[in-house]
Order: sequence, then structure tokens, then C-alpha cells
Amino acid sequence: MAAVRLLFIVQRPPYKSENPRLALTHALASQTAEIYMDDGDSVVPTVVFVGDGVLNAVKSQQAMKTYGVTSTESHIKGCLMTDVPIWVCKEDMERLGLKEDQIVSDAEDMGGAEISTKFVSFADIQKEMESVKHLLFF
Amino acid sequence: MKLAAFLSDWRRTEDTLERIKADKLGVILVGNGIYHAVVKEGGKESPVLSKAGAVFYALSDDLDTRGYTAANVHSKVKVVSYADIVDLITNEYEKTAWL
Amino acid sequence: MAELTIGVFSSLVGSMSLDFSFRLADAAMAKGHKVNMWLSGNAVMMAKKGQKAFKDYSHNEKKMMELIGKGMEITVCEACAEARGYHKEDVPQGMKRASMDWYLAKTVKTDRLLHIGGE
Repeated sequence: MAAVRLLFIVQRPPYKSENPRLALTHALASQTAEIYMDDGDSVVPTVVFVGDGVLNAVKSQQAMKTYGVTSTESHIKGCLMTDVPIWVCKEDMERLGLKEDQIVSDAEDMGGAEISTKFVSFADIQKEMESVKHLLFF
Repeated sequence: MKLAAFLSDWRRTEDTLERIKADKLGVILVGNGIYHAVVKEGGKESPVLSKAGAVFYALSDDLDTRGYTAANVHSKVKVVSYADIVDLITNEYEKTAWL
Repeated sequence: MAELTIGVFSSLVGSMSLDFSFRLADAAMAKGHKVNMWLSGNAVMMAKKGQKAFKDYSHNEKKMMELIGKGMEITVCEACAEARGYHKEDVPQGMKRASMDWYLAKTVKTDRLLHIGGE
């Protein structure tokens, strides 16, 4: 029996590549991974946005309106609604001129979530990298 | 944390590497990442090679592919094969990060 | 012997990361390690059998089939494949299709995970 912790680290901006979004959809898949696992095993993901990857978390994305595709913002909210923690690096937000009120922080418009986005230092992310079993950089 | 970090790009992800700390850090240069081992832009070595405490490796196949040989490689960098990388990630390091 | 899981999101043509993944898998299996591979995003280009080898493009189908024959477990993201028009009947023999939770589940038991997610 094991609860394996995974850290999904998104370091690239959204949309040009689908890969940052795939970080979110893969993290969400932790909800159903049990069908492939032994009884008692589980995976516990956290999604972290660092570097230029913090641009994924800018709110008011209109990808559905413009290109007809689900926005990265919606996937972030989907994670929050299923208790997948979302962290955003404070230093990188500052470097890119982003304030907390510009970042997706909750999923109230989708019915609400128990958890909200955490704004963390890179030192916190480093600690998490050390404590998880596997790192998945996107 | 014993981390094997793969760099496959010449630019873009060095800042992530710069910030990561590890008790034991191996930087494995593959794909276009091998340019960090052989190019001296403006006469200066790649800043990647100044990562404190890191051990550097470059994949021989990817050097050959791009017209370089072990003779061109910075003295800090060890040239390795695919089999060597398997040994590194299974025996020397606990986690991997493809940056 | 260790179990290595490689997750790849890179395209067959336009990136050499898939070539890297199959060569690393080959080297690991030659040393007796078990290898699992997850193909997602543009890496699902491998989920189409009958790929023709041209010298100007990466060609990995032959190597992949060899590795499957030697016991490598390889699964592609079903949704990523369907989105690109690669259907169940297109899949090379021995390759599986599943949703992303297959990959997540593999992380529990595997000794090492090499996740090639950035391009």
C-alpha cells in the first residue's frame, strides 16, 4: 500500500504547445488511476507553475470563445474542484509583473472548490521537489 | 535529493536548473543541450557549466550528430553513452527531471 | 534490476526526443531492466502502424516493435490519439491504448520515472 506523491512542474507558457495543459489533465487523472493500481495504492498530485509557466494561471482566458478549445484556466479550476493543489511561484509572478488578483485563485464560477491557489516561494517548491517520489516537468 | 537533470535545449530552461538545489546533482546534456558542453559564446563557457556542485555529462550520439566529438567537449563534462545514462539514473540518482 | 517508466510527449517528426526515448529504453532493456513507456500529446504519432522509413525523417516503428517483442509495455493516450484521427484499428500490434490514469498508476511501482514533457 502506498500513496505516491507526484509534482507536476509547468515551466512553459500556455497554448503554443498543449503540453502545459496536459500537465493539468494528467494530474486530474489521479482521480481515476486506482482502477490500474493495487488496493490501497494511490497517487497524490500537486501542480506547480514556475518560470514563464506562471502565465498559464492568468485569469479571464477566452480560449473557448476564440479557438473553441477549453482554456487552461478551466483545467486549473477543474483541479481545484477535485482537490488537486495548484501552486504559483511568487518570485516569477513578480518578475513578470503579475499581481495575485490577476491569477486564477478559485473555482467559484464552476460551483466552488474547497481549496484555492497557493502563492508560494521557489524555496517551498524546492522542498516539495525533495519530498515527492517523482518530478514531471512540462 | 539526488537528481539527474536532463537538458535538451540550448536555451530557455537554464533558469530552472539554476534555481534547483540537490545534494547530488547530475546534469545530463542531450539533444541540443550538448551545445552547453561545446560552444563558447563570446568566448565564454555556458553558464550552465557554472552550476555549483553539479557533475556534467553529454551524450556521445548527440555530440556526433551535431558535428562534435569528445575532443570538443569542456573538461568539466564527461561524455557518456545511452548505457551509461541507464546506469546513472538507476544507480547514482533517485529522481530525474527533463527540463 | 529496476523498473523504468518513460513518459514522452514529443512528436515523431519535429523533435528527436522520441528517438532518445526508444534508444534509452533499448539500452535499459539490454541491461535487464523492465521498461514501461507512455506516449501522450504529439508522441501518439507512434500509434499508427505502417509508417514508412524515409531518411529525412525519424523512424522509430521498427525499434519500437523490437522492444515490444522483448517485453516493453507501451501505452498511448487514447484521447490524444483519437483527437488526431488515430483509431483503435491503427494501433501497432502489442501497443495498448488507455487514458492518462494508466500512466499515473505506473508511477506507484516504478523505480525511476523519466518524464519528457517539455518541448
